[in-house]
Amino acid sequence: MADTILTARRKGIGAEARLAYILLAPAVLLMIIFMVYPIIYVFIISLFKTDKLSRIKDFAGFSIYLKLLSSKDTWVVIGRSILWTIVSVSTKTLFGVIIALALNVKFFGRKIARLLFIVPWASSIPISVMLWRWVLHNEFGLLNHSLKITGLMSNPPVWLGQSVSAFISCLWVDIWIGIPFMALVFLASMQAVPQTLYEAAEIDGASRFQRFRYITLPGISAILLIATLLSSLWTFNDFNTIYILTNGGPAGSTNILITYVYQNSFEWLKWQKASALSVFTFLILSVVSIIYSRIYFKKEEA
Amino acid sequence: MELTKKNREFTLKGFVILLTIILLFIMLFPFFVMLVSMFKSPEEIYHIPPYWLPRHPTFKNFIEVWNTIPLARYFRNSLIIAIGTVLLNTLISVPAGYAVARLHFRGKKFILYAFLVTQMFSPVVVLISLFKIVIKIHFIDTYISVIIANAVFTTPFVIWMLNGYFSGIPKGIEDAARIDGCTRVGALWRVILPIAAPGLVTTIIYTFIYGWNDFIFSLTFLQSGDKYPLTIGLYQFVGRFAVQWEQLLAGAFLAILPVLILFFIVEKQLVSGLAGGAVKE
Repeated sequence: MADTILTARRKGIGAEARLAYILLAPAVLLMIIFMVYPIIYVFIISLFKTDKLSRIKDFAGFSIYLKLLSSKDTWVVIGRSILWTIVSVSTKTLFGVIIALALNVKFFGRKIARLLFIVPWASSIPISVMLWRWVLHNEFGLLNHSLKITGLMSNPPVWLGQSVSAFISCLWVDIWIGIPFMALVFLASMQAVPQTLYEAAEIDGASRFQRFRYITLPGISAILLIATLLSSLWTFNDFNTIYILTNGGPAGSTNILITYVYQNSFEWLKWQKASALSVFTFLILSVVSIIYSRIYFKKEEA
Repeated sequence: MELTKKNREFTLKGFVILLTIILLFIMLFPFFVMLVSMFKSPEEIYHIPPYWLPRHPTFKNFIEVWNTIPLARYFRNSLIIAIGTVLLNTLISVPAGYAVARLHFRGKKFILYAFLVTQMFSPVVVLISLFKIVIKIHFIDTYISVIIANAVFTTPFVIWMLNGYFSGIPKGIEDAARIDGCTRVGALWRVILPIAAPGLVTTIIYTFIYGWNDFIFSLTFLQSGDKYPLTIGLYQFVGRFAVQWEQLLAGAFLAILPVLILFFIVEKQLVSGLAGGAVKE
């Protein structure tokens, strides 16, 4: 009896597995053709000299990698990408926690406030970035106008005209886009912390800061890790903000790896160099996304 | 004692409300600027120092922007790309999501893991190869190239979301349908999909928004102006030597509105989907 059930089940699993593979085939094929193969292909292109039409010419081996690694420009861009990611993600996290803490207090209108905080994330990002170009306009923009009339800055910079202020502008717009996600995630996880913990702590005479430090923070630490990792990937990958605001300028001073790859390929037609830079980007992204996936996977199984 | 505690609560609330207002002002500033500037006339918008509010609010920009740029065409193109992405994505993700959620097979963990990792890659990493592939198969300057690229970058996340929704459906319901003579595919179609419909709506809206907001693929694959979606059309407009900003802002408002509304429907599910099991809806 037990035997027949076992064989039946084994047969069933065979048929089931076959069905599963059939159902998965289109998705897997799509990913192989348009994701896995392109990654291999871009690596292959980087090993060859290319002409302006991106046609492959002579085999060059790893020479381009040696050239890139010994070029100062590469390290400047990689360094800037890392600086960009660290500054942006930490600021997003800080704002996210502050907004989540504020919205975790019961006050009249907080539901509407919560909805309004989402708007920058919910709106079409390329178009929001275009709005910022108008806001940052040095003559007609309302940002410089308000900085002047409030006395915060008597002589505000031409934001997108100089390298440092242009980089700060791009950073801020990227931060601004990323804050809502952080705030929402932190708020959701704060609300999942059992209220009884706070009540018990209050009876024991814990101060507000102590309650934050010993209850809220441990309560959201798991999600803090996942959200910052995810945000690091998005931030590192943010093409739209820089491309639309400055296109890497002035004089390449706001380029990060992602925009630098695009510029080298589709604007300067240096396909081999751009391909090699894509491989760098891929390697950096892989490390972070594997860490993220490991943690996410554990969460799902728990 | 009781009084001071109440007092303290009161000050805290006051402080939180003030903080929220300041933060909201910062976060909504560009939209505020858009909302006031799109009602300004050209003379008002290019006034130094800038006006906060329009002196003589006008709806003219909302009419003229349709003639200054082919806005209707951009809308149509955005719709084609967004709907195309939804169709292709759904067609591919629903069977895959069902398989990983409800069938037993070897390599399931690996596949789920692979989908999760690929989800994180930047389009730019594969853009050069995709561009070459698109040229080779003569899809350059077609909607389908943009649709495929967007479907590729939404499929992994959508399969993960669907995996969650499908797994939540009790096995008994499907078994009952099969005892009543449904095939597996029949059960998927008649029983599973209707139950998972709210989840499916979420993924469809997510994919639609993704397609609507596409910038980089349209920028790279589309060459003729009459195929541009809103994002690229408006970007080209911004790049002109003399931009009519008052009209651009009116156009931007119209382009943002549909996705803004859609986003509010799905935001809670998106947050929990992105953050994993740690955050529940």
